[in-house]
Amino acid sequence: MGLPTGGSIAPVNVLALVSDAYGGRGGIARYNRDLLAALARCGRNRRTVVLPRHGKSESAGLPPRLTQLSPRGKVLYPFVALWAAATKGPFDVVFCGHLNLVPLAAIVARILGVPLWLQLHGVEAWGPLTRAQTWAAERALLVTAVSRYTRRRFAELARLDPYRVRVLPNTVDERFAPGAPPPELVDRHDLVGKEVLLTVARLASDERRKGHDKVIRALPAIIAAHPDLVYLIVGEGDDRARLEALANDLGVANHMRFAGQVAPEEMAGYYRLAKVFVMPSIQEGFGIVFLEAAASGLTLIGGDSDGSADALADGVIGISVDPQSPDQLAFAIMTALTGAGPDPVEVQRFKLENFTRHLRDLTGMHLKSTGMVAE
Amino acid sequence: MCGIAGIYSYHYAANPIDLGELRLIRDRMAARGPDGAGEWCSTDRRVGFGHRRLAIIDLSELGAQPMFSADGKTVITCNGEIYNYRELRAELKSQGHVFRTQTDTEVLLQLYAARGPAMVDELRGMFAFALWDSEKRGLLLARDPYGIKPLYYADDGWTFRFGSQVKALLAGGKVSRVSEPAGWAGFLLLGSVPEPYTIYQEIRALPAGTTMWIDARGPAQPTRYFSVSEVYREAEGHGPVPQPELQARARAALLDSVRHHLVADVPVGAFLSAGTDSGSLLGLMRDIRQEQTHTVTLAYEDFHNRREDEAPGAQRAAERYGSMHTTRMVSESEFRADLPLIFDAMDQPTVDGINTWFVSKAARELGLKAAVSGLGGDELFAGYPSFGDIPRWVRWMAMPSCIPFLGDVARHLLSGWQRRAPRLHPKAAGLLKYAGTYAGAYLLRRGVFMPWELGKILDREFMAEGLRRLDPLRLIAASVEPGPRTPTGKVASLEACLYMRNQLLRDTDWASMAHSLEVRVPFVDRHLLEQIAPLVVSLPAGAGKRLLASSPSSALPGAVVDARKTGFETPIKDWLQRDDRTQAWRHLPELASPTCPWARRWAYQLAAV
Repeated sequence: MGLPTGGSIAPVNVLALVSDAYGGRGGIARYNRDLLAALARCGRNRRTVVLPRHGKSESAGLPPRLTQLSPRGKVLYPFVALWAAATKGPFDVVFCGHLNLVPLAAIVARILGVPLWLQLHGVEAWGPLTRAQTWAAERALLVTAVSRYTRRRFAELARLDPYRVRVLPNTVDERFAPGAPPPELVDRHDLVGKEVLLTVARLASDERRKGHDKVIRALPAIIAAHPDLVYLIVGEGDDRARLEALANDLGVANHMRFAGQVAPEEMAGYYRLAKVFVMPSIQEGFGIVFLEAAASGLTLIGGDSDGSADALADGVIGISVDPQSPDQLAFAIMTALTGAGPDPVEVQRFKLENFTRHLRDLTGMHLKSTGMVAE
Repeated sequence: MCGIAGIYSYHYAANPIDLGELRLIRDRMAARGPDGAGEWCSTDRRVGFGHRRLAIIDLSELGAQPMFSADGKTVITCNGEIYNYRELRAELKSQGHVFRTQTDTEVLLQLYAARGPAMVDELRGMFAFALWDSEKRGLLLARDPYGIKPLYYADDGWTFRFGSQVKALLAGGKVSRVSEPAGWAGFLLLGSVPEPYTIYQEIRALPAGTTMWIDARGPAQPTRYFSVSEVYREAEGHGPVPQPELQARARAALLDSVRHHLVADVPVGAFLSAGTDSGSLLGLMRDIRQEQTHTVTLAYEDFHNRREDEAPGAQRAAERYGSMHTTRMVSESEFRADLPLIFDAMDQPTVDGINTWFVSKAARELGLKAAVSGLGGDELFAGYPSFGDIPRWVRWMAMPSCIPFLGDVARHLLSGWQRRAPRLHPKAAGLLKYAGTYAGAYLLRRGVFMPWELGKILDREFMAEGLRRLDPLRLIAASVEPGPRTPTGKVASLEACLYMRNQLLRDTDWASMAHSLEVRVPFVDRHLLEQIAPLVVSLPAGAGKRLLASSPSSALPGAVVDARKTGFETPIKDWLQRDDRTQAWRHLPELASPTCPWARRWAYQLAAV
C-alpha cells in the first residue's frame, strides 16, 4: 500500500483505432490529432500506428514516431485493424478514438492481450449503447471523456469504477489569440462599423442542435438596441436555406452573414471579426469552438445543460443560458455586447501544456496499474 | 465523533472551491457535531475542509478541527475515535515527536508524518478522515477496518468532494442526483444499500478498510489494508484452541477491547437489552471500572407484560451489574411525531434503524454524549441462526443446484404456484437456484426481495440495469475473498461485511448522530477479531455466545444466554404499517397479502415514494 509513485514509465507502442484524425475535419478529428500529438510530445509513446476509418490519407505534418495508415472504408475496417494489429506491432495498448469502434477495439486488445483505452466525445456516448458497445466499454482500463457531462452520461450506461473514467478536455491552439480584424474579411462580409455576433458550427438539418435558429429569433429585440449588429455564421450544411428563410421572415436578413465553410488557416481571422461568440447548443460534448473564441478574446454564450458548461467553466469564462429560454438568450447577448471579454488568465487553463501534462499523468497512472508496462 | 466534509478541485480545468458550498455540506451535518464548526481552505483555494465537532476527547479548543501539523504541512479533518491514541502518542514521543494537544487527532497527523498512508495499520478505533499533504499535493482518505464510520465521496471528473453523509454532499447543490440503479437494487435485495454503491450514481462509499489517494490526476483506486475474511482464513490455520485456554483468552481479549472503548473525557453510557451481547458488555465494563454505568433500555407500551418486552430482562442485567438504569417508554404517538425527523435523518434507505433512533434519543435526554452498544456480538460469536442455516442449506443444495436449469425451472414453477398458495414464502422459489453456494444462500437468508421480483414491483428496465450493475452474487462472494474454509468463518465474514457493515453500522450511525450521540461498538474491533476468530472458528453452534456470556467475572444468567435468538422485536413494524404516510405498499397485491413480511412493505415504501 502507498502513494502512487511519480516515477517514469517506459514509452509504449500504441495502436490507435479512430474514426478520423490527420486529414479529417470536425471536432472529433481535431481532438484525436491533439491527443495523439500530445502523446508524442510528452514522450509517452515509443511508436503510434493510427488507423482512421474515413478521411484522407495524410503523411505530411505528422508528429514524430506516428504513422497513419490509409483509410480503407467501413466494410474493410475490421480486417485492416486485425491485420495492423498482427503485422505492425508489437503494441502495448489499444486506443479507441470513437465509441462506435469500441467492440472492434476491445476484440483487438483482447487478442493482443493489452489494455484498452477508450476516448469519449459527445452524443455518441450519451446512449443508448448497443450490447456490444456496453460489453466492450466495460473492459476498458481507462476511459477519457471530453467533458464532465459526457462522463456522467456515460456512467449512466456502463458499469465502470469511477476512477477509470477521467476527463480530458479539449485544448486550444496557440494561433487563436486576440488581434485586429483582418481587413479583407471585413470587406468580404461588409462588416465596417458593425458589432459582430459569431457562431461557428455546421448547419445540419437532421440535428438542429447548435441553436442558430434560437439566436436568429432573438435578433429583432437585440437589433432594436444595437442597430449595427451583424450575426455571422461560419459553417455549411443543409439547414442553411431554412435559416435564411427564417431571417427573411423576421426581417433581419440584412443583419445576417453566412460565411459558409471556412479554411482552417482563415479561422483565427474570423474570430477576430466578432465581439461575442454565441452557440446555445443542446447537445454539445464540449465545444472546442468556445475555447478558440475565448482565446481570441470573445465573450462566450453557451448552453447550461451539456458539455458546454465545461468550456464556459461553469460561468467563469462565459455566460451559461438555458437554450430553451429566448429571453435569457437575448438578455445574455445584450449584456455580452456591452461587457468586457473573458479574463485571459481564466482561459489559459485549457492551454496545451496542461492538456499534455494531464494526458501523461493519466496514461502513466493507468498503464502502470496493469503491470504490463515496465517502470 | 463528528461530521467531516471537503472539496478538492484537483483537475487543472476546475474552478477554485466554493466555500459557500463547503459550508452547506458541513452544516447539513450540524447534528453530528453541535460543539463546534470549523473550516480550512488552502491559499490557492484548490482544497478545503469542513468539520462539525462533537467533543469527546480533549474538550478544549485545542481539539478543534480541521487541525494542522506543527510544521503546517498537513491538515486533517477526522470523524471518529482512535482508542489506542495514548499508546501511539507515547511511542511517537519516544521517537522525538512533540505534541501540542491531548487529542487523538494530533496523533494522526504525527503518525502520518512518521509512517505515511501505512499509518492506518496501527490505528485501533472507528474513524473516517481526510488528510491534505501540501508537500505531495495530495489528499488521503481513510476509513476504519470494519466501516463503523461512514465516508462518501463524489467525483465529477474535475472536482472531488467528500462527506460523512450522502445527504450532506447533496446539500452543497453541485453533486448530481441521478439515481444509481445498483444502489436501489441492492437496497431492495438486502434491506440496505451495499457499499460502495449509494442510491446516487455520482456518490460512492469509500469501502471499509481502505484508503484512497487523490492528487492532480484524480482519485486512485481504493487500496485495501484490512479484510475480515482474511483474518478468519488465517485463524483457521491455527488449529483448535485447547478447551482450558478458551475462556481465559476470550475474557482477556474482550476486557482489552472494552477497556480501549471506554477512553473518553465524557461519561460513556451503555445501551442495554435483555440479550447476551449488551448484558455481557455491561458485565465486562463493570469488571474494568468502578464507577456506575448509565444504561438505557427501550420499552414499548404495546409490549407491556408480553414476551417481547425487553425491559424486565434488561432490568435484571442492570441489577446484576449495578448500573444506573433507565427504561424509556416509547409510544405510538411519539413515533408518529418523530417519523418526519427520522426520514430526514435517514441518510440512505434502510429497513431498520428506528429502534436505534429512540434509544439514542433516550441516551441524549439523559445527558450522555457517548454510549457503548453490543452490536457485533452475533457476528463475532456466531450467534445468528444463519450460522446454522446457511451451511446446512449449502450442504443439502450443493448437488441439486449444479443440475443445469433445474433451479430456474423450480423457481418458475414455484413462483406460479405462489399465487395459489400465498402462505408460501417468496424465497422458497429460489431455494434450488441459490442455496447451493454460500453467496446464494446468504442472499436467501438475508434477502428482502428476490432478484426476479424487482422488475415486478418497480420499473422493470431500471431494475434490470440495477441487477446487471450490482451483480449481487458476485458482490456477496467478493466480500468473503480470500475465502475462509470453515462454515463459521464464511458466515461470520458474510455477516460482518454485508449485514453488519451496510445495515447495522449505517443505521447506528445516522440514528445516533441525529441525536448528537456517539455510539461505540467494542465487539467491532480489528484487534478483538484477531484474538477471537481462532477461538470461534472451530466451536460448535451456540458455544460462541456462551463463551461471551461467561466472560464477565460475574457471568450472565443462564436464562438469558439460552434464550432462543429471535431478533430484537419492536412494535415499530405495526406502527409503520398503520401510519397513513406509509401506505404505498397497499397498492401491490403481493405486498397487501396478510402474510407478507413487513420488511418487504417497508422497503417498497421507501423505494416507491
